Amino acid sequence: MQVKSRIHTVLILSLLLFCSAFGAAEPGGNGDSIRDMQCGGACHGDASINESSSALLSLSSPDTIYQGIPTTITLTATNLETSSTRLIGLFLLTDMTGHSDTPQDAGWEILSDSNGGTANYIELTLSPGQNETSISWVLRSSSLDPSTFYAAIHHGGGSTSPFFGSSADGLEVTPEPVPENLPRLAADFIPPTKRILDMPTELTVLTEYTESIQFEWKTENGLVQTSEINSSGEGSWVASLPAALQPTTIQWRVTLQGEGPDQTTPWFTLAAEQAGWEISENAVYLQAFALLFMTAGLVILLQTRFSSSRTISKYDQTPTVIEALETASSPVVLPVESTESSLAPLPEGGLPNGWTEQQWEWYGHDYLAGKYGGGAE
Amino acid sequence: MTSSETFHVVTTELVVGAFSVAGLSFTLCLLVHFGVLKQPSWKTMLDNVAHFTLAFGLAATPFAILSGLSSSPGEGMNSPILVNKMFLSMTGFGFALGCLIGRLRLGNKVWSNTKSTAVHASAGLAACGSMLLTASAGGTFTRGESLLDLFNLPYEHVLLFPVFVSLTALLLGTAMLAIGWRRMKSISSIH
Repeated sequence: MQVKSRIHTVLILSLLLFCSAFGAAEPGGNGDSIRDMQCGGACHGDASINESSSALLSLSSPDTIYQGIPTTITLTATNLETSSTRLIGLFLLTDMTGHSDTPQDAGWEILSDSNGGTANYIELTLSPGQNETSISWVLRSSSLDPSTFYAAIHHGGGSTSPFFGSSADGLEVTPEPVPENLPRLAADFIPPTKRILDMPTELTVLTEYTESIQFEWKTENGLVQTSEINSSGEGSWVASLPAALQPTTIQWRVTLQGEGPDQTTPWFTLAAEQAGWEISENAVYLQAFALLFMTAGLVILLQTRFSSSRTISKYDQTPTVIEALETASSPVVLPVESTESSLAPLPEGGLPNGWTEQQWEWYGHDYLAGKYGGGAE
Repeated sequence: MTSSETFHVVTTELVVGAFSVAGLSFTLCLLVHFGVLKQPSWKTMLDNVAHFTLAFGLAATPFAILSGLSSSPGEGMNSPILVNKMFLSMTGFGFALGCLIGRLRLGNKVWSNTKSTAVHASAGLAACGSMLLTASAGGTFTRGESLLDLFNLPYEHVLLFPVFVSLTALLLGTAMLAIGWRRMKSISSIH
């Protein structure tokens, strides 16, 4: 019998262990974010369970990159094979050690990614039949130190295994000092990445050493349009963009003219999304604490009510005292029961199998009455 | 330095794990009490496991709530799911607190009769359920999917009471706690 139950236990545990393989990784993705190559210890980064991706990744950048000036790094991924969700996650990294490997760790600031955020890890859903894609990040270096960029990919596949791949070679980038009087975006200018749906957008661009400026933007279908941009002060320009009716992205860039050679900025991505959801936080916290106190109070109140409805202490002789007071005319002599006499007599053969003395003390009578623990059998 | 996201994952795993074991133990306690599971000798063990894991989960819950708030994207509560998570976790916290205080103050008497047993085990199970729902809401928030999605739970809707209702509930809850505490004191002082 014991052997049988052990076999059952082993079978159940084995089944649970096998089930874990089906739940490996996160087929629904993890969302765009700043992530290291191992994605915080995700299954894709675990060499013991992952499989190599067949994807080919290559990075490219402009020939000249200036310190503090936004630049574009483009990742081209080909030969893509994915699971039925067609979801892939792409990384831009500055190291392949698996930790402290984001561009931020190497002194680069991500100003924009292809999805309208500022993440080094972004997720894409490929179209049916699509087996290659190209995405870009706009970054700005804070130092002149050379950096090497790498790309990595996480995705699913035909099997349940998580797939992992990385670029074969790194892209070496060495920022140069900015030439004097070069028209440029202001060093403290951070391009917006989000705008609200159904509202025209006033986009403010801050520049340095710039005398005139042209503004271009394009929709997801690639149609490039120009918009008027007006000066709103020293080094400040304002462009108007039409309202977005759908949660889509557009890209914009400016061409700067001044004493130095003309400069065209990278394409910055601007995503339209629903207006932020707002709620009074004080009301939320107040209600949360009210729920805490109400539930705790309710449980305690019910507990005391039902626990005190039947006092089971062996020392409680209140009924005996009341009975004696009512019936006796002579001085009351209270019968004092010993602790042992209030206990249920042990059945023949001693305590039932598996019972402790303390349990017998509390439940012995119920056992003998057949109300508890199989005593009637 | 551990990021708040990682810390939140660690603490929520502790909370969910602890509360799950507590929920399982409370269920088995109920089965033993009602004689469905004929293993009375297990009751002490299950009672201990249920309350120790509940206490452990309760200790980890504030860390999970605080790290969850600091790790959520954006500032403050910018999603109805986050608000529902807060409500569910605090409700679970209340159930667990009531259950533990009851067990500490009343001792074995919480198992003394059917009604008391039902209330005590239900409170423990409600705490477990609330925490599992909180975790499910967290999964919906971060990954857009959760195992409990098959129930179509309305995480996107928030039932927010007016401030005066919350304030009244808070006072009522405090009063119930105080009354319960006093009654527990009088019950326990007999012995």
